[in-house]
Amino acid sequence: MDWKGTLEFARGPFFEVALIVFVGGMAYRLMRVVLLGWSRDRVPSKGSKLKGVVISFLKGIVIWPFVPWVKNTFGKKPVMYLAGGLFHFGLFVIIFLGTPHMLVWKSLTGYGWTTLPLPVVDWLAAVTIVAMAALFINRLVDPVLKLITGPAEWLNWLFVFLPMVSGYAMTHHLISPYEMLFSLHMIAVNVMLIWIPFSRISHFMFYFFSKTIHGAQFGKRAVTP
Amino acid sequence: MSEETMYQHLRREGVTRRDFVKICGLLAGAMGLNTFPPLRSSGLPQSLAGEPNPGSLVARALASKPRVPVLWLEFQDCAGCSEALTRSQSPTLIDLVLSKISVEYHETLSAASGFQLEENKMEIMKKYAGKYLLVVEGSVPTGAPEYCFIGGRSAEELLLEAAKGAAAVIATGNCATFGGIPKAKPNPTGAKGVSEIVRDKPVVNISGCPAIPEVFTGTLAHFIVFGALPELDRLNRPLAFYGNTIHDRCLRRAFYEAGKFALSFDDEGARKGWCLYKLGCKGPTTYNACASMKWDGGLSFPVQSGHPCLGCSEPNFWDGGGFYQGQSTPLSKPTLTALGVAAAAGAVVGAAVAATNRSTKKHVTIE
Repeated sequence: MDWKGTLEFARGPFFEVALIVFVGGMAYRLMRVVLLGWSRDRVPSKGSKLKGVVISFLKGIVIWPFVPWVKNTFGKKPVMYLAGGLFHFGLFVIIFLGTPHMLVWKSLTGYGWTTLPLPVVDWLAAVTIVAMAALFINRLVDPVLKLITGPAEWLNWLFVFLPMVSGYAMTHHLISPYEMLFSLHMIAVNVMLIWIPFSRISHFMFYFFSKTIHGAQFGKRAVTP
Repeated sequence: MSEETMYQHLRREGVTRRDFVKICGLLAGAMGLNTFPPLRSSGLPQSLAGEPNPGSLVARALASKPRVPVLWLEFQDCAGCSEALTRSQSPTLIDLVLSKISVEYHETLSAASGFQLEENKMEIMKKYAGKYLLVVEGSVPTGAPEYCFIGGRSAEELLLEAAKGAAAVIATGNCATFGGIPKAKPNPTGAKGVSEIVRDKPVVNISGCPAIPEVFTGTLAHFIVFGALPELDRLNRPLAFYGNTIHDRCLRRAFYEAGKFALSFDDEGARKGWCLYKLGCKGPTTYNACASMKWDGGLSFPVQSGHPCLGCSEPNFWDGGGFYQGQSTPLSKPTLTALGVAAAAGAVVGAAVAATNRSTKKHVTIE
């Protein structure tokens, strides 16, 4: 098999198409959500909506994840809390602070930044992969999760897992030739990019929208009809 | 002359028996002989089949086989591969293989020129039909043949004519193997590598820009000694030299594993000899012997001297992204306009679907 050609395709035209589908798809999804309808705001607010938004984000991202005992998030679902948290943290670090990935951002946006040393990112990648495996098993055994898990959820897991393992194997040259793993990694990433807008992984963007709207509602001081 | 063995020929050229044995050991090393090729197909006498020492195997082969003439054609090239060979740091070896053993025709190196030289070439081709080795340097313009004419004939015509009677064809340098720089986008001459044109003969690719002289010599010597081509990889390159990537044999590899990278050509990492991956090194996907055989008689090679590998022994290396662009970066990216159009199209489709949904929504009035 001509992996060199495959790699050129996966890093070139396929990536380009995947990125276009990703951007177009996210715009589509956003439009659909925005046009679902808004209830009219008839009563003037006496409080600050902006303050509500800021507090909402602080609580959601900075405070509650790190004080699990207050709301007993760890006690209720330890696997979900630990594996879910580590997975999101690991993913963020790998995508933004892993050197090869920063170079991708730099080539796309023109801006580069300092990255973490490879061993740090590497260990986090291993942790993230283990966390994903734990979440997989959790989904298989948890009675509630079993009820609400369909093919789309398994595909979400798969389309994130494949770039993770192929990237890890590639960094460590686990299977030769290198171009094969590189090609598989790029193909997996491209497939994920195309899949994201039409799946719940789009929460990477919608999370911030819904948090903003909820925050604004929390910040509102008025008698709601 | 064809009846004279290589050993006899060398003795006549003034090579002593002692030097001859030394040279044979060198040749065996240059061929990367750790296992012997199948002897039955190589045309060597069966008595040599049990020979345990590669050096003496080579010696006996040279003592019993006639010399192999080599025709060297140059098309769209810079003569850099010939230059690299003639300025190689192992003159005894190169000199032995090229001038004493074989080369009968070489546009740059031959003392004669013009019609006389062309006539000599035709004579050699007739005399040694089916026996001579054809070496090609440079790519062949197929889209616009007028870019390369020699003696009033096109490169493609000359190549096909010479390949017809050749025992095997060796393409040297990236141009002859994969099209090289002449083939870089937009490829104005319609340049092609030799193996895309010569289909009915075995073509060995000694890629590189230029090809490593010792790799070329080793491959040539392999054919001369065993009468057969060495084991090849999927791109028809000898496995003995192209079996590993630069990255696999790199002296900076430990720094890659440790996550220590040079970030510019003049930072602390660069001075300490750290990994050049972030400066665009193509080592992980480049197969060649630079890191193990090195250049200038084992003195150094680009990565050792502080420059990232360009990937010059791989097809289309000229179009494979910027030389100083990290290997993880995309080769092409959509323009802002394309992304804008995609976003707008997505939004329009979204709005249209939302509008359709609204218009078909049933309004329930609660009494």
